[in-house]
Amino acid sequence: MSVIIRCRGVEKIYRQGAVEVPALRGVDVDIVAGDFATLSGPSGSGKTTLLSLMGGLDRPSAGEITVDGQALGDLDNNRLADLRLRKIGFVFQTYSLIPVLSSAENVEFILRLLGTPPGEREARAREVLAQVGLAGLEARRPSRLSGGQQQRVAVARALATRPAIVLADEPTANLDSRTAEDLIALMADLNTASGMTFLIATHDARVIAHSRRRIEMIDGRITADEGHGAPVAA
Amino acid sequence: MLAALAWRNLWRRPQRTVLSLISIALVTGLLVFMLSFQEGVYGAMKEATLRIFDGYAQLQPPGWADDPTLERAIDRPAALVRQAERLRGVGAAAPRVNAFAILAHGERSYGAAVVGVDPDRERRVSSIASTIRTGRYLAAGDSDAAILGETLARNLDLAVGGEVTVLGSARDGSVAVDVLHVVGLYRSGVPDLDRTILEMPLARAQDTFGMQGAANTIAVGGPSLAAVDGAVPALRTLGRQAGVSLRDWAALEPALREAIELKYAVAMLFYATLVVVVAFIILNTLLMSVLERTREFGMLLALGMRPGQIGAMVWIELLGLALLGCLVGLVVGGGVTLWLEARGIVYPIDPRLLAQFGLPTRLYPALTPLSALFGPVALLMAITVGGIAPYLRVTGLTPALAMRAP
Ligand SMILES: Nc1ncnc2c1ncn2[C@@H]1O[C@H](COP(=O)(O)OP(=O)(O)OP(=O)(O)O)[C@@H](O)[C@H]1O
Ligand SMILES: [Mg+2]
Repeated sequence: MSVIIRCRGVEKIYRQGAVEVPALRGVDVDIVAGDFATLSGPSGSGKTTLLSLMGGLDRPSAGEITVDGQALGDLDNNRLADLRLRKIGFVFQTYSLIPVLSSAENVEFILRLLGTPPGEREARAREVLAQVGLAGLEARRPSRLSGGQQQRVAVARALATRPAIVLADEPTANLDSRTAEDLIALMADLNTASGMTFLIATHDARVIAHSRRRIEMIDGRITADEGHGAPVAA
Repeated sequence: MLAALAWRNLWRRPQRTVLSLISIALVTGLLVFMLSFQEGVYGAMKEATLRIFDGYAQLQPPGWADDPTLERAIDRPAALVRQAERLRGVGAAAPRVNAFAILAHGERSYGAAVVGVDPDRERRVSSIASTIRTGRYLAAGDSDAAILGETLARNLDLAVGGEVTVLGSARDGSVAVDVLHVVGLYRSGVPDLDRTILEMPLARAQDTFGMQGAANTIAVGGPSLAAVDGAVPALRTLGRQAGVSLRDWAALEPALREAIELKYAVAMLFYATLVVVVAFIILNTLLMSVLERTREFGMLLALGMRPGQIGAMVWIELLGLALLGCLVGLVVGGGVTLWLEARGIVYPIDPRLLAQFGLPTRLYPALTPLSALFGPVALLMAITVGGIAPYLRVTGLTPALAMRAP
């Protein structure tokens, strides 16, 4: 199985004036292709921080992260942006979409950044929106979509570019339980049907119930990693 | 793509955008009008000054400006006059003999500038003919006639019908003497002119001063100063071919030019302050909206937009706002200006008084390239340059931290 994200000795210390807040204290983990993994743990344990570092949204204080074989530390901010565009799909708790664009345009936007020709963009947007159950809502702007629908658009957008991995940070936190259940089922389906790799930070027991790999964090360290072939050698 | 996104972002807060647009448009329009008004007033001032005697430009022999002596002459003026009058923008070219002489009447004598003129052409170049208060102006066919300023006449104790003796030196250095009959007295309102200038027929002046058909200067008049200014390059070429130099209005009236330049400098300082203040307000508003959207920028970075692309998008928003505002300001300000340019602005001074001094009774703003473009261009530039602040703010974001912004 190919490793998509490899973390070795990853530390992150936030500095707030003179105070140093250690958010990650040495994380070693491999996310492999086809994973449907959840990252859980108490609030403040470092889930969001780890996801951010994996996605190149911030840089670790120590340690090394590679995405698809590419060491993030070697990349400048523009190359990091390009790597996110090509390899990583993000779904956030809220505010995953561009508010002034319709659902179809949100999907097309990223295809446009990738240089996909216009005709292909439209067809692809229509296709992935249908795939997440949003056929007919292509022209709606995010403000006129429900929270669950908005998250589906974010998933559709990730689907459109076929990233190496989708990083989702509390995607169900703002959804009612039915909607949350539907969203997670959709992600799980995409994982089994098209082999999309997911890493989902969540508190949500229903989400964790769907996962095939459960990573747990406490206080900036990984304390458990169930369902993974073998524990990562340090 | 960025432009389309920027455009939509602008209209997310319509009130704010409209308010910004209005302030930009207001300032632009105001600048267009105020500058046009200044151009109009200064233009009228220049025309009024130049029209009295100088003309809008002059052809002069080389060195005339520094040393105006009869030896410096244009030998065959008639041909040059005809060629000049054929140019677009030139209404008339009036050849002159410019001599200095002692004028005597009875016991009194005064030094004066004696100008030999071609009356028909002179009328179209200088407004002295229209400021005659008693008697008449010179006419074609006059021989020993003369007109002079009221002050000069009073000093010499002369009236219409009187005889004045002219005593000077001719071109070759010999003595020049003539006796002329006063046919008219003028009052131009310019004390220096009213005290010093006597006009007589050109041919007679050429005889009296031994000019052998030559003239000293050719004053150029036209429908407007702008028209003659437009003909200056052609006039200059014409002059070069004939071995004479062309002096445009600024060279003829350097003090006036300097006064106007000073007024412009002061006004521009004020306008620049206005531009900076408005640019600052607009930038502040944009910076505020950039701060509000920190989280969104974090999300865009997460999607894989490059920091520079997002910075460019924000810059385009700013530019779009500025362009639109300037355009509206230019159209409205320019429209109002053009309307007033057609109608004129009446100023609260007795029109008879104005007419007496050859000044127009209405002021006309003049929409010129300078007055139309200074405001919009200055504002656009200030906003574009100031746009570096939000740009830097956006490109300096760390995506993860931006996403945590409230
Ligand atoms: N920008 C920051 N500056 C200072 N400290 C920070 C910053 N971001 C996070 N932290 C701290 O880092 C630690 C980890 O935060 P993080 O957001 O990764 O936790 P989390 O597991 O995602 O929590 P939650 O479940 O509440 O989302 C916390 O102690 C948090 O207070
Ligand atoms: Mg979190």
